[in-house]
Amino acid sequence: MYLSSFLASVLEQSAPILLAALAAMITLRANILNVAVEGMMLVAAFVAIAVGSATDSAALAFFAAVLASILMSQLLALMTLRFSADFIVAGLGINLLAAGGSLFALEWFYGTPGGLRPITFPDIWHVAPGSLSFIPVIGPAIERQSIILILAFIAIPLSAVFLYRTPTGAYLRAAGEDEHAARAAGVSVVRMKAISLAISGLFAGLAGAQLAMDKLHFFLPEMTSGRGFIGLAATLFGGGHPWVTAAASLLFGFFGALGDRLQAFSLPSQFVLMMPYIAAIVGLTLARWRIHVRNRPARIVVEGSA
Amino acid sequence: MTAARFKNSVRAMYAPIASILLTLALGFLLVMAITDDPLQAYRDLLFANFDSLGSFALFLNRATPLTLIALGVIFSFRAGIFNVGGEGQLYAGAIAATVIGVTFAGLPAIVLLPLALMGGILAGAFLGWVPGVLKVRLAVDEVVTTLMLNIIVLLFTSYLSNQVIRDTKSYGAVSEMVPEKIWLPALPGVPGATSGIVVAVLLASATWVVLFRTVWGAQLRASGTNLRFANAVGIPADQRIIVAMLIAGGLGGLAGVLYVLGIGHRFEQNFSPEYGLVGLTCALLARIHPIGALATAIFYAMMINGSAYMQISTDVPRSLVDLLTGLLVLLMTARLATPKTRS
Repeated sequence: MYLSSFLASVLEQSAPILLAALAAMITLRANILNVAVEGMMLVAAFVAIAVGSATDSAALAFFAAVLASILMSQLLALMTLRFSADFIVAGLGINLLAAGGSLFALEWFYGTPGGLRPITFPDIWHVAPGSLSFIPVIGPAIERQSIILILAFIAIPLSAVFLYRTPTGAYLRAAGEDEHAARAAGVSVVRMKAISLAISGLFAGLAGAQLAMDKLHFFLPEMTSGRGFIGLAATLFGGGHPWVTAAASLLFGFFGALGDRLQAFSLPSQFVLMMPYIAAIVGLTLARWRIHVRNRPARIVVEGSA
Repeated sequence: MTAARFKNSVRAMYAPIASILLTLALGFLLVMAITDDPLQAYRDLLFANFDSLGSFALFLNRATPLTLIALGVIFSFRAGIFNVGGEGQLYAGAIAATVIGVTFAGLPAIVLLPLALMGGILAGAFLGWVPGVLKVRLAVDEVVTTLMLNIIVLLFTSYLSNQVIRDTKSYGAVSEMVPEKIWLPALPGVPGATSGIVVAVLLASATWVVLFRTVWGAQLRASGTNLRFANAVGIPADQRIIVAMLIAGGLGGLAGVLYVLGIGHRFEQNFSPEYGLVGLTCALLARIHPIGALATAIFYAMMINGSAYMQISTDVPRSLVDLLTGLLVLLMTARLATPKTRS
């Protein structure tokens, strides 16, 4: 029983990280380091609560949140792909815009700079308690989880199939791996990058909606608390491969859940919270180290010859 | 020659000023929707800083860390390193100076002040060194490492200020005060303003000289603009890049030290309204030019401080500045024409 309740909190912690990681992964495959996941998540969380409290409809809140996040991703696509803004700078701009915009809306429209706490908020669909208890350990852990969490885990195989088994996925990867070759082969690199950003917005929107709508039902300006960056870390840790990325996300979710339990043993929570970020730096360094050692004799540099 | 150079610098200023004006114009539309007196709001946003000596002091106190962080960003960007770690370097410098000041409070000021100063600078420099070395030796992406290090440092300072050097008599995560003997003197004639602004202005000039008037600076910029060329002509590019990152981190650390010694007199976990990102914004707006960055930092300090006066005099929330910053950062590297059309 204890095991499945721990597993449930691992899943709960992992879901937004997993979605953020998939959001960063899909753009990484198109050769975009997406630092804007955090901002898109925040916008989705805010819109979910704002629309949900205004319309009292969970479905409307959900779709509005995802739509808002996709719109943010397309704003980023417009600035970077059409007006050739720098991806990192413009991505940080999206984060600042999301944070500033939601704070501005809170202060101006709602008059509550601290956050938005509607008195009533519609519930999103959760797995019915008891419906899966015939499966040992895992069943009870999935019960009471939100539909978005289920979607997050379905998104892993879906994105793997998309990337490796569909023409669009192949074009997208081609655009990411060698822009010039892809263009020569007739692939519209700009369109592929825009598509990857849109999918990224979709996943980030799901992540934000999960944060706001699963249990909390309120919005705080610091709600995403770096989960977009943990997701980015997981993606880089997983080298942009769906299954490895998902495994890294689960590992980080495990650390998060473990951190919650360890606080009872007076281990400073800050050190537990640091783990994903340290893991990302160490993981990246080790990955580069392997490549470095492998390539040490006679490295041929082809970059920039076009 | 001078006329041509003047023309060039005017052209260089055209795009940043255009993006600032566009952002301010978009903000004005928003302000018009909120208040009946948008002109009053914008006047306060930009110029209320000069209404009293007190506001002017606060404005200088904002400009100081922004300038120093922007200078650090300039060193790293000129060396080709996309250093977004300003926030972490700032916090590292601030916490190191505070820990030293609080722990060795018994030492005489003449020993303690240099110790706190060096400690803060070294802490910041270390945070610049790690991504620098990883980038140069193993090609680990510096955007990722600096972003991750920011969060790690913020968590670490949160631990220190909450559990280790916390002032238990105060509310919130603030440290004990550093001893008064190592506080920086106020700027003569402007009570409450840190003399750190003098350091910032001097360092901005020094940065310009080092980057644009020394061989070392030319080598550093060559390593940043074309690494293969730099290596081919025998510049020790790796070493230049690592030293540039040490300086960049050190400047961020210095910003933190000067904040603690000159303004806050203690470490507060939330002392920075994203100085790291705003400093980066200032540097990029100024096209990574040190003198330009001084100007953009002053502009930003005006806006950040002015927003408080704007909120008091009109109903416009001060977070308008956060919103405008987002717009500006989103817009500022954009170009109307595609790069292909440039000859």
